Amino acid sequence: MGHKSPLDSVIALCCRAVKRPFITGLLVQPALPRLKLSEINMRLAEINHTKNSAAITNNGAAAATTDENECIVREQDRFMPIANVIRIMRKILPPHAKISDDAKETIQECVSEYISFITGEANERCQREQRKTITAEDVLWAMSKLGFDDYIEPLTLYLHRFREMEGDRGSMRAETLMKTSSRAMTAAEYHAAAAGSFAGFAPFHHHGFFGYLKDASISNGAAGTSLSQQANAVAAMANGDHQASHSQYDDNNK
Amino acid sequence: MRQAGKYSGFMMCGGIAGRTGPHSLPLARIKKIMKKSGEDVKMISGEAPIVFSKACELFIEELTRRSWATTLQGKRRTLHKDDVASAIVATDIFDFLVSMVSETASHSEDGTVPEEEETVGSS
Repeated sequence: MGHKSPLDSVIALCCRAVKRPFITGLLVQPALPRLKLSEINMRLAEINHTKNSAAITNNGAAAATTDENECIVREQDRFMPIANVIRIMRKILPPHAKISDDAKETIQECVSEYISFITGEANERCQREQRKTITAEDVLWAMSKLGFDDYIEPLTLYLHRFREMEGDRGSMRAETLMKTSSRAMTAAEYHAAAAGSFAGFAPFHHHGFFGYLKDASISNGAAGTSLSQQANAVAAMANGDHQASHSQYDDNNK
Repeated sequence: MRQAGKYSGFMMCGGIAGRTGPHSLPLARIKKIMKKSGEDVKMISGEAPIVFSKACELFIEELTRRSWATTLQGKRRTLHKDDVASAIVATDIFDFLVSMVSETASHSEDGTVPEEEETVGSS
């Protein structure tokens, strides 16, 4: 092939194997010139190796045997990584338990189905209300509607904590927290800070996310009290359900 | 009273953050799956995948717990797909999964086209 560019080599090989969806995927990618040389070489190696086989199984490309010319849906894009799924399962199972491969794959598929199921419902709600963006609140609403009420409380708590941490990084919240962190922070103060950080976020539908908290008005003062009451109740439940140690919460709940 | 540090506090306990970063399931992957759930899914806020990463964890935990209960009933130590199928059939909120497990069960048994109602062999 002389001194042709890697692009020419790839195209030459592609012409020979044009029916392979994998190659078609390569052809239809407008970004081909931006493929790294190492990546192109890797794919050439794969093509040479698997040219005559019916399925390209490297990295689990699941759609290789179809005749579609559409973009390939790689298996690894459709599912959660199986290692992560297994790790979460092992947290629940006793140490001696074994998991069959088909069980792992089934649960992996179920997770994706769960995401699609909830997202579909959340999306419908967005469309009904003529909004374009699916928010965390929509997701929580959909879960509640579809029967996953038990998840709402730990998820709400998780989201609160996440927002708290996000607010922490490089913002005025960090100063507020740093001042209070020098002495022990009671749960009430923690929740007041959390409530404060809420005020700056996008408006929520009160009947949804904050409907759960049973308080329509979100302002620093008003929400602080009711939020802390609700969150304390939630924390008490969360303490029972999960083994996370909430040292801030323990003070009020024990 | 001791205060939990930023990275040893609530979210981090229970192995959520330990090894892989703040979230145990990859957010980009979650977002991809969300987008594929329907033709008309337009935009997804940054927080939605984060809620899902925790929700999927809870989901896996619940499904595993229920499946394992079936495994124990059969006095076995290996969690099989049939145990997962039983857990799905026995739980109302997992109805949306019934078609997934009955499809493959039917194909392996007699190859008939599965119906929407739960017709899973193990009842």
